[in-house]
Amino acid sequence: MIPPPPALYRRDRLMRALVPVTNAYERLSRRGARRQPPVRAVDRTLRLVVDEVVHEAADVISLRLVDPSGAPLPLWQPGCHLDVLLPSGRRRQYSLCGDPADRRAYRIAVRRIDGGDGGSVEVHATLRKGSSVAVQGPRNAFPFLDVPSYLFLAGGIGITPILPMVRAAQARGADWRLVYTGRSRASMPFLAELSGDRVVVRTDDESGVPDPVELLAHAPDRATVYCCGPVPMIDGVRAVLGRRPLHFERFSPPPVVGGEPFVVRLARTGVTVPVASDRSVLAAVREVLPSVAYSCQQGFCGTCRVRVLPGEDEMSICRDRGSGLVVLDL
Amino acid sequence: MAEPENLVLQPRNVQFDWSSVPLHWVPGEPLTTHAINTLHLVLPEGERWFVHVFKQTLPLIADDKVREDVLGFIGQEAVHAEAHQGAADHLTAQGIDLGPFVAQIEWIFRSLLGDRELTGAARHQWLLERLSVIAAVEHFTAVLGQWVLDARALDAAGADPTMLDLLRWHGAEEVEHRSVAFDLYMHLDGRYLRRVRTMLVVAPVLGWLFVRSTRWLLRNDPTRPPRASWRAYFRAARRGLLPRPGQLLPATWRYLPRRYHPSQEGSTSQAVAYLASSPAAAAAS
Repeated sequence: MIPPPPALYRRDRLMRALVPVTNAYERLSRRGARRQPPVRAVDRTLRLVVDEVVHEAADVISLRLVDPSGAPLPLWQPGCHLDVLLPSGRRRQYSLCGDPADRRAYRIAVRRIDGGDGGSVEVHATLRKGSSVAVQGPRNAFPFLDVPSYLFLAGGIGITPILPMVRAAQARGADWRLVYTGRSRASMPFLAELSGDRVVVRTDDESGVPDPVELLAHAPDRATVYCCGPVPMIDGVRAVLGRRPLHFERFSPPPVVGGEPFVVRLARTGVTVPVASDRSVLAAVREVLPSVAYSCQQGFCGTCRVRVLPGEDEMSICRDRGSGLVVLDL
Repeated sequence: MAEPENLVLQPRNVQFDWSSVPLHWVPGEPLTTHAINTLHLVLPEGERWFVHVFKQTLPLIADDKVREDVLGFIGQEAVHAEAHQGAADHLTAQGIDLGPFVAQIEWIFRSLLGDRELTGAARHQWLLERLSVIAAVEHFTAVLGQWVLDARALDAAGADPTMLDLLRWHGAEEVEHRSVAFDLYMHLDGRYLRRVRTMLVVAPVLGWLFVRSTRWLLRNDPTRPPRASWRAYFRAARRGLLPRPGQLLPATWRYLPRRYHPSQEGSTSQAVAYLASSPAAAAAS
């Protein structure tokens, strides 16, 4: 039974009429069950093979990925990335850094980060010429727009999405500058593909740690800034940007640091899941409950908030942690 | 150049400081101000309802791309709801008691359009029907989002920059995610009859809600502005302060053909460009 609406006007006939009208409409909607079309499952995974591995710089390799049957690959735009599904089950995003016009191959580049989360080490250790690799995408988290002038800022491996943007800007006749920073020339991939007086290569070992104001000083008039690099670089640039438009690649959720392991139990199924010290509750729960709702993965949007039983307390499972045994209303 | 495609949708953690926003944030235009204020009255509950309905669709989705889009959509809608709630609280602080109006809106989304304690096939069909309603509403939010991105007349009329940024940030995200609800509906059901009938319900109900809330806000405005009138609306619309009937009616028809897809509406690159320069989005962590 639907209660009547709370009063706004003395009569409010139209608002009251919504009750019988919507009740009838709901009953009408039930007729849809008769010829319900089935949900068609869509497999978004591309099964590719590594066609070539190139050593690009210290700790950096690039991989050329092709379809084993030689079929053309889905189109992409500068700024797009692939989700690479590694044999261990890890899923990592890598920017496409090849030529969008080449429909036969994708190119990604990966810097090995020892002591990182292990994804890049796995790529370096396991992917060889001829290896099979499953990917999803391409998807675009760094859309490249057509504007008259650009300042591209790339820090280290952050050059990967910027590289196709630079080529597109050049082909379009835009006014652009690229400032490419890194520890040393030996650590910076693709230097050989970048030349000309629009490119500034700036290394820490020659010029010290870059200052964001100095980076922005290279901007042409009314430039739109595209920045990809380590988090401190992006934060530094954002802090001194003023009202210049800035596009930057948003990274995957911040890593969990200093967490203690604990256990959650899902009340509706009784399933118990351990939460490791370096993982979020969300990551652990998703393994047993793939349809769990979440969104921002930083704790602000509230999508993943669930009740902690018993009681009325809630937690955002993408960010909040507990101790011992936590029972969730899932 | 081609429009950006296959966008990854991510909520932005925006913040707005309402303290300096005047009651009539389009100076001297109480009708325009309150017509747009309708959003602050309806959207917090409405967008929470979107989230509630969409969360129930997650176990039914059998396409990773649709699921990723839906997860991004849910977070954006949740942040929209809270941002408009902030604007609504600011209206309350300026002396308009929104309680009675918002109580009805809550009733619409929680009781009338709630889960209705249905089970089995009836529950499933009611979920799909409401999803189709959301797809129709999202068509209008994309149309209105594009409209507000283009509405230079609001700048020219001296509209408050914080409020304009709220509207344009929200409008840009609506344009950015305009295909999600439609694609989800096509994935889970897709029947043309249901899509058309929900639009035929949604269009007049949205119009009625706007008229009703504009009238009510003007009547409850402590500065006692002139009552709402169609003449005042047409004057504001002619100046470009509100969407014209000649923009809203054709937008309704555009949804009806079988070949409709939301990607035909609005400009992704314009939306993305706004989000790259929006003060609220720039301040987001």
